Amino acid sequence: MEDKPYDEVQFANARQEMEKLAFDSLKGRKLPVNAVFAKLSDVTKAIASGTVTWGRKNSLWPMQFGLACCAMELLDFGSARVDAERGGYLLFRGTPRQTDVMIVAGWVTKAMIPEVKRLYEQMAEPRYVIAYGECATCGGPWWESYNIIKGIDQVLPVDVYVAGCPPRPENLFGALMKLQEKIGGKIVENKL
Amino acid sequence: MGETKINIGPVHPSTHGVLRLVVTLDGDTIRKVEPHIGFLHRGVEKLVETRMYMQSPSYMEKIDYVAPLSYDELYVATVEAALGITVKDRAQYVRLIQLELQRIASHLLWLGTAINDIGQLFSVFMWCFKDRDIVLSLLEEATGGRMFYVNQRLGGLNRDMAPGFDKHAYKALDYLEKRIGEYQEYLESNPIFMERMKKIGIMSKEEAISLGVTGPTLRGSGVEFDVRENYPYYVYEKLHFNTQFENGGDCFARYRVRINEMKESIRLIREALHIIPEGDAIGMPIRLIGPQPKEKEVMVRRELPRGEGMMYMVTEGQRPYRLSIRAPSFINTAILQHLPKGHRLQDLFPILASVDTVMADVDR
Repeated sequence: MEDKPYDEVQFANARQEMEKLAFDSLKGRKLPVNAVFAKLSDVTKAIASGTVTWGRKNSLWPMQFGLACCAMELLDFGSARVDAERGGYLLFRGTPRQTDVMIVAGWVTKAMIPEVKRLYEQMAEPRYVIAYGECATCGGPWWESYNIIKGIDQVLPVDVYVAGCPPRPENLFGALMKLQEKIGGKIVENKL
Repeated sequence: MGETKINIGPVHPSTHGVLRLVVTLDGDTIRKVEPHIGFLHRGVEKLVETRMYMQSPSYMEKIDYVAPLSYDELYVATVEAALGITVKDRAQYVRLIQLELQRIASHLLWLGTAINDIGQLFSVFMWCFKDRDIVLSLLEEATGGRMFYVNQRLGGLNRDMAPGFDKHAYKALDYLEKRIGEYQEYLESNPIFMERMKKIGIMSKEEAISLGVTGPTLRGSGVEFDVRENYPYYVYEKLHFNTQFENGGDCFARYRVRINEMKESIRLIREALHIIPEGDAIGMPIRLIGPQPKEKEVMVRRELPRGEGMMYMVTEGQRPYRLSIRAPSFINTAILQHLPKGHRLQDLFPILASVDTVMADVDR
Protein backbone atom coordinates (compact mmCIF):
# COMPACT_ATOMS: atom_id res chain seq x y z
CA MET A 1 0.00 0.00 0.00
CA GLU A 2 1.48 3.31 -1.06
CA ASP A 3 -1.05 5.44 0.82
CA LYS A 4 0.38 4.64 4.22
CA PRO A 5 2.31 7.49 5.75
CA TYR A 6 4.81 5.15 7.39
CA ASP A 7 7.19 2.42 6.39
CA GLU A 8 5.68 -0.95 7.25
CA VAL A 9 8.91 -2.67 8.13
CA GLN A 10 9.90 0.21 10.37
CA PHE A 11 6.52 0.15 12.04
CA ALA A 12 6.79 -3.56 12.80
CA ASN A 13 10.19 -3.08 14.35
CA ALA A 14 9.25 0.08 16.23
CA ARG A 15 8.69 -1.64 19.52
CA GLN A 16 11.96 -3.46 19.36
CA GLU A 17 13.71 -0.24 18.49
CA MET A 18 12.15 1.59 21.39
CA GLU A 19 13.12 -1.14 23.81
CA LYS A 20 16.64 -1.05 22.44
CA LEU A 21 16.78 2.71 22.93
CA ALA A 22 15.56 2.39 26.48
CA PHE A 23 18.07 -0.35 27.29
CA ASP A 24 20.87 1.64 25.69
CA SER A 25 20.12 4.57 27.92
CA LEU A 26 20.46 2.30 30.94
CA LYS A 27 23.69 0.64 29.74
CA GLY A 28 26.60 0.74 32.08
CA ARG A 29 24.55 1.42 35.16
CA LYS A 30 24.61 -0.87 38.16
CA LEU A 31 21.06 -1.92 38.76
CA PRO A 32 19.35 -4.52 40.88
CA VAL A 33 17.80 -7.25 38.78
CA ASN A 34 14.18 -6.36 39.43
CA ALA A 35 14.66 -2.66 38.92
CA VAL A 36 14.96 -2.82 35.15
CA PHE A 37 11.24 -2.75 34.63
CA ALA A 38 10.76 0.09 37.08
CA LYS A 39 13.39 2.15 35.33
CA LEU A 40 11.92 1.29 32.00
CA SER A 41 8.53 2.61 33.06
CA ASP A 42 10.26 5.78 34.27
CA VAL A 43 11.76 6.28 30.85
CA THR A 44 8.42 5.72 29.19
CA LYS A 45 6.79 8.13 31.58
CA ALA A 46 9.34 10.78 30.86
CA ILE A 47 8.79 10.42 27.14
CA ALA A 48 5.05 10.25 27.46
CA SER A 49 4.23 12.85 30.12
CA GLY A 50 4.53 15.81 27.78
CA THR A 51 2.43 14.07 25.17
CA VAL A 52 -0.18 13.03 27.71
CA THR A 53 -0.53 16.54 29.09
CA TRP A 54 -0.80 17.91 25.59
CA GLY A 55 -3.43 15.34 24.66
CA ARG A 56 -5.36 15.78 27.87
CA LYS A 57 -5.37 19.52 27.39
CA ASN A 58 -6.63 19.46 23.84
CA SER A 59 -9.32 16.83 23.95
CA LEU A 60 -11.59 17.76 26.83
CA TRP A 61 -14.80 15.82 26.56
CA PRO A 62 -17.60 17.39 28.56
CA MET A 63 -20.46 15.41 30.05
CA GLN A 64 -23.94 15.84 28.64
CA PHE A 65 -25.37 16.78 31.99
CA GLY A 66 -27.80 19.64 32.17
CA LEU A 67 -29.60 20.55 35.35
CA ALA A 68 -31.47 23.79 34.76
CA CYS A 69 -31.48 27.06 32.83
CA CYS A 70 -27.76 27.14 32.10
CA ALA A 71 -28.13 23.83 30.25
CA MET A 72 -29.90 25.76 27.48
CA GLU A 73 -26.75 27.81 26.99
CA LEU A 74 -24.77 24.59 27.20
CA LEU A 75 -26.76 23.27 24.23
CA ASP A 76 -26.09 26.51 22.40
CA PHE A 77 -22.41 26.08 23.20
CA GLY A 78 -22.40 22.76 21.38
CA SER A 79 -24.38 23.99 18.39
CA ALA A 80 -23.73 25.93 15.24
CA ARG A 81 -23.10 29.54 16.26
CA VAL A 82 -20.48 29.09 18.97
CA ASP A 83 -19.06 25.87 17.50
CA ALA A 84 -17.27 24.25 20.40
CA GLU A 85 -15.41 21.92 18.09
CA ARG A 86 -12.85 24.64 17.42
CA GLY A 87 -11.42 24.10 20.88
CA GLY A 88 -11.78 20.32 20.89
CA TYR A 89 -14.68 20.27 23.33
CA LEU A 90 -17.36 19.04 21.02
CA LEU A 91 -17.98 15.49 22.06
CA PHE A 92 -20.68 15.72 24.68
CA ARG A 93 -20.90 12.19 26.01
CA GLY A 94 -23.91 10.59 27.59
CA THR A 95 -22.02 8.44 30.04
CA PRO A 96 -19.71 9.77 32.75
CA ARG A 97 -17.15 7.05 32.13
CA GLN A 98 -16.10 8.61 28.84
CA THR A 99 -15.81 12.20 30.02
CA ASP A 100 -13.15 14.49 31.44
CA VAL A 101 -15.10 17.60 32.38
CA MET A 102 -18.32 17.92 34.30
CA ILE A 103 -20.06 21.22 33.64
CA VAL A 104 -22.50 21.78 36.49
CA ALA A 105 -25.11 23.97 34.80
CA GLY A 106 -27.84 24.84 37.23
CA TRP A 107 -28.91 24.73 40.83
CA VAL A 108 -28.24 21.57 42.85
CA THR A 109 -31.05 20.51 45.15
CA LYS A 110 -30.71 18.30 48.17
CA ALA A 111 -32.32 15.46 46.22
CA MET A 112 -29.76 15.87 43.48
CA ILE A 113 -26.57 15.88 45.60
CA PRO A 114 -26.15 12.07 45.75
CA GLU A 115 -26.71 11.81 42.00
CA VAL A 116 -24.17 14.51 41.18
CA LYS A 117 -21.64 12.94 43.55
CA ARG A 118 -22.19 9.55 41.99
CA LEU A 119 -21.71 10.90 38.48
CA TYR A 120 -18.51 12.58 39.57
CA GLU A 121 -17.23 9.37 41.12
CA GLN A 122 -18.01 7.42 37.95
CA MET A 123 -15.81 9.71 35.86
CA ALA A 124 -12.32 8.46 35.06
CA GLU A 125 -9.43 10.39 36.57
CA PRO A 126 -8.19 13.00 35.95
CA ARG A 127 -11.52 14.79 36.14
CA TYR A 128 -12.40 18.44 36.23
CA VAL A 129 -15.43 20.39 37.35
CA ILE A 130 -16.68 23.70 35.98
CA ALA A 131 -19.30 25.56 38.01
CA TYR A 132 -21.31 27.26 35.29
CA GLY A 133 -23.57 30.10 36.34
CA GLU A 134 -24.63 31.76 39.56
CA CYS A 135 -26.52 28.81 41.03
CA ALA A 136 -23.63 26.36 40.76
CA THR A 137 -21.17 29.00 41.96
CA CYS A 138 -22.91 30.27 45.06
CA GLY A 139 -26.62 29.47 45.05
CA GLY A 140 -27.53 32.52 43.02
CA PRO A 141 -31.11 33.72 43.22
CA TRP A 142 -32.13 30.70 45.30
CA TRP A 143 -29.86 31.69 48.20
CA GLU A 144 -32.80 31.80 50.59
CA SER A 145 -34.43 28.61 49.36
CA TYR A 146 -34.80 25.68 51.73
CA ASN A 147 -33.90 22.99 49.22
CA ILE A 148 -30.77 24.29 47.50
CA ILE A 149 -27.09 23.97 48.36
CA LYS A 150 -25.21 27.22 48.08
CA GLY A 151 -22.74 26.30 45.40
CA ILE A 152 -21.51 22.99 44.04
CA ASP A 153 -18.12 23.55 45.71
CA GLN A 154 -19.66 22.36 48.96
CA VAL A 155 -19.80 18.90 47.40
CA LEU A 156 -17.21 18.68 44.61
CA PRO A 157 -13.80 20.29 44.01
CA VAL A 158 -14.34 23.03 41.42
CA ASP A 159 -11.65 24.02 38.93
CA VAL A 160 -13.21 26.99 37.16
CA TYR A 161 -16.13 29.21 38.14
CA VAL A 162 -18.17 31.05 35.53
CA ALA A 163 -20.26 34.00 36.66
CA GLY A 164 -23.49 35.14 35.05
CA CYS A 165 -27.16 34.28 35.09
CA PRO A 166 -26.91 32.57 32.69
CA PRO A 167 -23.41 33.18 31.29
CA ARG A 168 -23.27 33.47 27.54
CA PRO A 169 -21.96 30.41 25.65
CA GLU A 170 -18.81 32.37 24.85
CA ASN A 171 -18.06 32.53 28.57
CA LEU A 172 -17.99 28.74 28.70
CA PHE A 173 -15.50 28.82 25.88
CA GLY A 174 -13.37 31.13 28.00
CA ALA A 175 -13.75 28.88 31.03
CA LEU A 176 -12.61 25.81 29.12
CA MET A 177 -9.61 27.75 27.82
CA LYS A 178 -8.72 28.63 31.41
CA LEU A 179 -9.04 24.94 32.29
CA GLN A 180 -6.68 24.08 29.44
CA GLU A 181 -4.15 26.53 30.83
CA LYS A 182 -4.52 24.92 34.22
CA ILE A 183 -4.01 21.41 32.88
CA GLY A 184 -1.07 22.55 30.77
CA GLY A 185 0.70 23.72 33.92
CA LYS A 186 0.51 27.44 33.30
CA ILE A 187 -0.41 29.47 36.32
CA VAL A 188 -3.69 31.22 35.75
CA GLU A 189 -3.03 34.84 36.58
CA ASN A 190 -5.63 37.11 37.96
CA LYS A 191 -5.18 40.19 35.83
CA LEU A 192 -7.79 42.33 37.50
CA MET B 1 -41.26 -14.33 30.63
CA GLY B 2 -40.72 -12.42 33.83
CA GLU B 3 -40.94 -8.70 34.21
CA THR B 4 -37.86 -6.52 34.27
CA LYS B 5 -37.57 -3.15 35.95
CA ILE B 6 -35.19 -0.61 34.53
CA ASN B 7 -34.32 2.83 35.73
CA ILE B 8 -33.96 5.76 33.32
CA GLY B 9 -32.55 8.96 34.71
CA PRO B 10 -32.49 11.25 36.63
CA VAL B 11 -29.51 12.16 34.48
CA HIS B 12 -30.13 10.78 31.03
CA PRO B 13 -29.44 12.56 27.74
CA SER B 14 -32.97 11.98 26.45
CA THR B 15 -35.09 12.92 29.44
CA HIS B 16 -34.76 16.69 28.89
CA GLY B 17 -33.74 17.49 32.40
CA VAL B 18 -33.72 15.52 35.58
CA LEU B 19 -36.73 13.27 35.20
CA ARG B 20 -36.47 9.76 36.58
CA LEU B 21 -38.55 7.02 35.01
CA VAL B 22 -38.88 3.53 36.47
CA VAL B 23 -40.04 1.35 33.60
CA THR B 24 -41.45 -2.15 34.05
CA LEU B 25 -40.77 -4.22 30.95
CA ASP B 26 -42.06 -7.53 29.72
CA GLY B 27 -39.40 -8.45 27.20
CA ASP B 28 -39.29 -5.26 25.15
CA THR B 29 -42.85 -4.17 25.84
CA ILE B 30 -43.61 -1.48 28.39
CA ARG B 31 -46.07 -2.54 31.06
CA LYS B 32 -45.78 0.36 33.47
CA VAL B 33 -44.01 3.71 33.71
CA GLU B 34 -43.58 5.58 36.98
CA PRO B 35 -42.25 9.13 36.66
CA HIS B 36 -40.35 10.38 39.71
CA ILE B 37 -40.12 14.13 39.94
CA GLY B 38 -38.84 16.70 42.40
CA PHE B 39 -35.13 16.83 41.61
CA LEU B 40 -35.27 20.53 40.83
CA HIS B 41 -37.66 21.73 43.52
CA ARG B 42 -36.52 25.02 45.02
CA GLY B 43 -39.71 26.50 46.46
CA VAL B 44 -40.53 29.39 44.15
CA GLU B 45 -44.01 29.83 45.57
CA LYS B 46 -42.61 30.22 49.06
CA LEU B 47 -39.84 32.59 48.00
CA VAL B 48 -42.34 34.87 46.27
CA GLU B 49 -44.16 35.40 49.56
CA THR B 50 -41.08 37.08 51.00
CA ARG B 51 -40.71 39.54 48.12
CA MET B 52 -42.46 42.72 46.99
CA TYR B 53 -44.60 42.32 43.88
CA MET B 54 -42.11 43.52 41.33
CA GLN B 55 -39.10 41.78 42.85
CA SER B 56 -40.36 38.39 41.72
CA PRO B 57 -40.36 38.43 37.86
CA SER B 58 -36.77 37.23 37.90
CA TYR B 59 -37.86 34.12 39.84
CA MET B 60 -40.76 33.57 37.48
CA GLU B 61 -38.50 33.53 34.43
CA LYS B 62 -36.54 30.64 35.89
CA ILE B 63 -39.62 28.45 36.27
CA ASP B 64 -39.69 27.68 32.58
CA TYR B 65 -36.26 28.48 31.24
CA VAL B 66 -37.09 27.52 27.66
CA ALA B 67 -39.76 30.22 27.46
CA PRO B 68 -38.91 32.68 30.26
CA LEU B 69 -40.73 35.66 28.85
CA SER B 70 -44.10 33.90 28.89
CA TYR B 71 -43.95 33.22 32.61
CA ASP B 72 -42.64 36.71 33.31
CA GLU B 73 -45.60 38.16 31.45
CA LEU B 74 -48.04 35.83 33.21
CA TYR B 75 -46.82 36.93 36.61
CA VAL B 76 -46.83 40.63 35.77
CA ALA B 77 -50.35 40.27 34.33
CA THR B 78 -51.45 38.67 37.61
CA VAL B 79 -50.01 41.57 39.59
CA GLU B 80 -51.63 44.04 37.21
CA ALA B 81 -54.98 42.34 37.72
CA ALA B 82 -54.50 42.49 41.49
CA LEU B 83 -53.47 46.13 41.53
CA GLY B 84 -56.07 47.15 38.93
CA ILE B 85 -53.66 48.56 36.37
CA THR B 86 -54.46 48.66 32.67
CA VAL B 87 -51.74 48.05 30.11
CA LYS B 88 -50.90 50.82 27.66
CA ASP B 89 -52.10 50.36 24.11
CA ARG B 90 -48.72 50.11 22.44
CA ALA B 91 -47.33 47.94 25.22
CA GLN B 92 -50.04 45.35 24.52
CA TYR B 93 -48.78 44.98 20.96
CA VAL B 94 -45.14 44.88 21.99
CA ARG B 95 -45.87 42.22 24.59
CA LEU B 96 -47.75 40.14 22.05
CA ILE B 97 -44.86 40.35 19.59
CA GLN B 98 -42.36 39.33 22.23
CA LEU B 99 -44.54 36.48 23.49
CA GLU B 100 -44.92 35.06 20.01
CA LEU B 101 -41.19 35.40 19.34
CA GLN B 102 -40.60 33.50 22.56
CA ARG B 103 -43.02 30.81 21.40
CA ILE B 104 -41.07 30.37 18.17
CA ALA B 105 -37.78 30.10 20.09
CA SER B 106 -39.29 27.56 22.46
CA HIS B 107 -40.74 25.39 19.71
CA LEU B 108 -37.49 25.53 17.74
CA LEU B 109 -35.60 24.26 20.76
CA TRP B 110 -38.19 21.52 21.14
CA LEU B 111 -37.85 20.53 17.49
CA GLY B 112 -34.07 20.31 17.68
CA THR B 113 -33.83 18.31 20.87
CA ALA B 114 -36.80 16.02 20.15
CA ILE B 115 -35.52 15.04 16.75
CA ASN B 116 -32.06 14.51 18.13
CA ASP B 117 -33.57 12.05 20.60
CA ILE B 118 -35.56 9.98 18.18
CA GLY B 119 -33.13 9.26 15.42
CA GLN B 120 -29.80 11.02 15.94
CA LEU B 121 -30.67 13.47 13.16
CA PHE B 122 -28.08 15.82 14.57
CA SER B 123 -28.15 18.20 11.61
CA VAL B 124 -31.67 19.30 12.50
CA PHE B 125 -30.49 20.07 16.02
CA MET B 126 -27.77 22.30 14.59
CA TRP B 127 -30.15 24.08 12.22
CA CYS B 128 -32.78 24.66 14.86
CA PHE B 129 -30.29 26.12 17.29
CA LYS B 130 -28.89 28.38 14.61
CA ASP B 131 -32.39 29.68 13.89
CA ARG B 132 -33.24 29.93 17.58
CA ASP B 133 -30.23 32.16 18.00
CA ILE B 134 -31.68 34.50 15.39
CA VAL B 135 -34.89 34.77 17.43
CA LEU B 136 -32.92 35.24 20.64
CA SER B 137 -30.87 38.03 19.10
CA LEU B 138 -34.11 39.69 17.99
CA LEU B 139 -35.39 39.48 21.57
CA GLU B 140 -32.05 40.75 22.81
CA GLU B 141 -32.40 43.73 20.53
CA ALA B 142 -35.91 44.36 21.82
CA THR B 143 -35.39 43.78 25.54
CA GLY B 144 -31.69 43.82 26.33
CA GLY B 145 -31.32 40.27 27.58
CA ARG B 146 -30.29 37.17 25.71
CA MET B 147 -32.10 34.56 27.75
CA PHE B 148 -33.67 36.21 30.80
CA TYR B 149 -35.31 39.51 30.02
CA VAL B 150 -37.14 40.97 33.06
CA ASN B 151 -38.58 43.54 30.71
CA GLN B 152 -42.17 43.69 31.95
CA ARG B 153 -43.25 46.52 34.20
CA LEU B 154 -46.64 47.34 35.64
CA GLY B 155 -48.76 48.79 32.84
CA GLY B 156 -46.09 48.45 30.18
CA LEU B 157 -42.49 47.60 29.59
CA ASN B 158 -39.06 48.58 30.81
CA ARG B 159 -37.92 49.37 27.29
CA ASP B 160 -39.83 49.82 24.12
CA MET B 161 -38.66 48.13 20.95
CA ALA B 162 -35.48 49.68 19.61
CA PRO B 163 -35.84 51.89 16.49
CA GLY B 164 -35.42 49.78 13.40
CA PHE B 165 -36.59 46.65 15.17
CA ASP B 166 -39.46 46.04 12.77
CA LYS B 167 -37.12 46.09 9.79
CA HIS B 168 -34.91 43.44 11.38
CA ALA B 169 -37.95 41.48 12.50
CA TYR B 170 -39.50 41.35 9.01
CA LYS B 171 -36.20 40.12 7.59
CA ALA B 172 -35.76 37.47 10.28
CA LEU B 173 -39.38 36.32 9.97
CA ASP B 174 -39.04 35.85 6.22
CA TYR B 175 -35.96 33.75 6.82
CA LEU B 176 -37.58 31.72 9.61
CA GLU B 177 -40.68 31.01 7.55
CA LYS B 178 -38.53 29.65 4.76
CA ARG B 179 -36.50 27.54 7.18
CA ILE B 180 -39.50 26.08 8.98
CA GLY B 181 -40.97 25.07 5.62
CA GLU B 182 -37.68 23.38 4.79
CA TYR B 183 -37.65 21.47 8.08
CA GLN B 184 -41.14 20.25 7.48
CA GLU B 185 -40.33 19.16 3.96
CA TYR B 186 -37.15 17.42 5.06
CA LEU B 187 -38.58 15.68 8.11
CA GLU B 188 -41.80 14.49 6.53
CA SER B 189 -39.87 12.87 3.70
CA ASN B 190 -37.50 11.19 6.14
CA PRO B 191 -38.46 7.54 6.72
CA ILE B 192 -36.74 7.30 10.13
CA PHE B 193 -38.67 10.27 11.43
CA MET B 194 -42.01 9.11 10.05
CA GLU B 195 -41.60 5.54 11.31
CA ARG B 196 -40.80 6.73 14.79
CA MET B 197 -43.50 9.39 15.07
CA LYS B 198 -46.56 8.06 13.22
CA LYS B 199 -49.05 5.96 15.20
CA ILE B 200 -46.88 6.18 18.33
CA GLY B 201 -48.38 7.26 21.64
CA ILE B 202 -51.94 7.74 20.45
CA MET B 203 -54.06 9.76 22.88
CA SER B 204 -57.77 10.01 22.23
CA LYS B 205 -59.78 13.21 22.59
CA GLU B 206 -61.61 11.99 25.72
CA GLU B 207 -58.40 10.79 27.33
CA ALA B 208 -56.68 14.09 26.67
CA ILE B 209 -59.51 16.09 28.20
CA SER B 210 -59.91 13.83 31.23
CA LEU B 211 -56.19 13.93 32.00
CA GLY B 212 -56.21 17.73 31.99
CA VAL B 213 -53.60 18.03 29.28
CA THR B 214 -53.19 21.46 27.68
CA GLY B 215 -51.25 23.17 24.95
CA PRO B 216 -49.99 21.55 21.75
CA THR B 217 -50.28 18.15 23.41
CA LEU B 218 -54.04 18.68 23.78
CA ARG B 219 -54.46 20.20 20.33
CA GLY B 220 -52.63 17.27 18.79
CA SER B 221 -55.54 15.11 19.94
CA GLY B 222 -58.09 17.08 17.97
CA VAL B 223 -59.36 19.42 20.68
CA GLU B 224 -59.75 22.94 19.37
CA PHE B 225 -58.86 24.84 22.52
CA ASP B 226 -56.45 27.70 22.80
CA VAL B 227 -56.60 30.35 25.51
CA ARG B 228 -55.57 32.92 22.95
CA GLU B 229 -58.79 32.31 21.04
CA ASN B 230 -61.23 31.07 23.69
CA TYR B 231 -60.32 33.56 26.44
CA PRO B 232 -58.46 36.24 24.48
CA TYR B 233 -56.13 38.69 26.15
CA TYR B 234 -54.26 41.73 24.83
CA VAL B 235 -54.95 42.22 21.14
CA TYR B 236 -55.41 38.63 20.02
CA GLU B 237 -59.04 39.47 19.27
CA LYS B 238 -58.07 42.19 16.80
CA LEU B 239 -55.64 39.95 14.95
CA HIS B 240 -56.84 37.07 12.82
CA PHE B 241 -55.79 34.18 14.98
CA ASN B 242 -56.61 30.59 14.12
CA THR B 243 -56.21 27.75 16.61
CA GLN B 244 -53.92 25.08 15.19
CA PHE B 245 -54.99 21.52 15.84
CA GLU B 246 -54.54 18.04 14.39
CA ASN B 247 -56.73 15.00 14.63
CA GLY B 248 -54.10 12.26 14.74
CA GLY B 249 -53.47 12.15 18.49
CA ASP B 250 -50.06 10.57 17.94
CA CYS B 251 -46.55 11.99 18.25
CA PHE B 252 -46.66 13.14 14.64
CA ALA B 253 -49.79 15.21 15.26
CA ARG B 254 -48.18 16.88 18.25
CA TYR B 255 -45.14 17.68 16.12
CA ARG B 256 -47.38 19.03 13.35
CA VAL B 257 -49.24 21.31 15.77
CA ARG B 258 -45.99 22.86 16.93
CA ILE B 259 -44.77 23.42 13.37
CA ASN B 260 -48.08 25.05 12.44
CA GLU B 261 -48.02 27.14 15.60
CA MET B 262 -44.64 28.52 14.64
CA LYS B 263 -46.03 29.51 11.23
CA GLU B 264 -49.08 31.05 12.90
CA SER B 265 -46.86 32.99 15.30
CA ILE B 266 -44.84 34.36 12.41
CA ARG B 267 -48.06 35.49 10.75
CA LEU B 268 -49.30 37.06 13.99
CA ILE B 269 -46.07 38.99 14.53
CA ARG B 270 -46.19 40.34 10.98
CA GLU B 271 -49.77 41.43 11.46
CA ALA B 272 -49.05 43.05 14.82
CA LEU B 273 -45.98 44.86 13.48
CA HIS B 274 -48.13 46.16 10.65
CA ILE B 275 -50.84 47.73 12.81
CA ILE B 276 -48.87 48.62 15.96
CA PRO B 277 -49.87 52.12 17.13
CA GLU B 278 -47.36 54.83 17.94
CA GLY B 279 -47.16 56.08 21.48
CA ASP B 280 -45.76 55.36 24.89
CA ALA B 281 -45.13 51.79 26.06
CA ILE B 282 -43.07 52.42 29.18
CA GLY B 283 -44.57 51.04 32.39
CA MET B 284 -44.33 52.20 35.99
CA PRO B 285 -40.84 52.22 37.48
CA ILE B 286 -40.21 49.82 40.34
CA ARG B 287 -40.64 51.71 43.63
CA LEU B 288 -40.10 50.62 47.19
CA ILE B 289 -43.74 51.25 47.98
CA GLY B 290 -45.98 50.66 45.01
CA PRO B 291 -49.73 51.00 44.58
CA GLN B 292 -52.02 49.16 47.00
CA PRO B 293 -53.85 46.08 45.69
CA LYS B 294 -57.50 46.48 44.78
CA GLU B 295 -58.44 42.83 44.53
CA LYS B 296 -58.21 40.32 47.37
CA GLU B 297 -57.63 37.36 45.09
CA VAL B 298 -57.07 37.10 41.37
CA MET B 299 -56.52 34.40 38.79
CA VAL B 300 -55.02 34.90 35.35
CA ARG B 301 -54.65 32.36 32.57
CA ARG B 302 -52.35 32.48 29.58
CA GLU B 303 -51.38 30.22 26.73
CA LEU B 304 -47.74 29.37 27.35
CA PRO B 305 -45.70 27.48 24.74
CA ARG B 306 -46.07 24.28 26.78
CA GLY B 307 -49.74 24.62 27.65
CA GLU B 308 -52.11 26.63 29.72
CA GLY B 309 -50.51 28.44 32.64
CA MET B 310 -52.52 29.89 35.48
CA MET B 311 -51.58 31.96 38.47
CA TYR B 312 -53.76 32.39 41.50
CA MET B 313 -52.68 35.14 43.86
CA VAL B 314 -53.99 36.21 47.27
CA THR B 315 -52.76 39.70 48.05
CA GLU B 316 -51.81 41.23 51.35
CA GLY B 317 -50.42 44.76 51.30
CA GLN B 318 -47.22 45.14 49.35
CA ARG B 319 -46.52 41.45 48.83
CA PRO B 320 -48.43 38.34 47.84
CA TYR B 321 -49.84 36.32 50.70
CA ARG B 322 -49.95 33.21 48.55
CA LEU B 323 -49.14 32.50 44.93
CA SER B 324 -50.23 29.25 43.37
CA ILE B 325 -48.99 28.27 39.95
CA ARG B 326 -50.62 25.84 37.57
CA ALA B 327 -47.63 24.68 35.58
CA PRO B 328 -48.57 23.05 32.26
CA SER B 329 -45.54 20.73 32.24
CA PHE B 330 -46.50 19.24 35.59
CA ILE B 331 -49.92 18.16 34.41
CA ASN B 332 -48.65 17.06 31.00
CA THR B 333 -46.05 14.83 32.67
CA ALA B 334 -48.85 12.76 34.16
CA ILE B 335 -49.71 11.29 30.76
CA LEU B 336 -46.36 9.52 30.75
CA GLN B 337 -47.95 6.98 33.07
CA HIS B 338 -50.60 6.13 30.45
CA LEU B 339 -49.32 6.72 26.93
CA PRO B 340 -46.30 4.41 26.66
CA LYS B 341 -48.18 1.33 27.91
CA GLY B 342 -47.99 -1.47 25.36
CA HIS B 343 -45.32 0.26 23.28
CA ARG B 344 -41.76 -0.87 22.81
CA LEU B 345 -39.05 0.64 24.98
CA GLN B 346 -37.58 2.65 22.10
CA ASP B 347 -40.94 4.36 21.59
CA LEU B 348 -40.78 5.84 25.08
CA PHE B 349 -38.45 8.59 23.93
CA PRO B 350 -40.56 9.93 21.03
CA ILE B 351 -43.52 10.01 23.44
CA LEU B 352 -41.50 11.74 26.12
CA ALA B 353 -40.16 14.21 23.58
CA SER B 354 -43.57 14.93 22.06
CA VAL B 355 -45.06 15.90 25.44
CA ASP B 356 -42.37 18.60 25.79
CA THR B 357 -41.85 18.88 29.50
CA VAL B 358 -39.47 21.24 31.22
CA MET B 359 -38.47 19.77 34.53
CA ALA B 360 -37.95 23.07 36.32
CA ASP B 361 -41.55 23.88 35.41
CA VAL B 362 -42.69 20.54 36.84
CA ASP B 363 -40.88 20.84 40.16
CA ARG B 364 -41.01 24.61 40.71
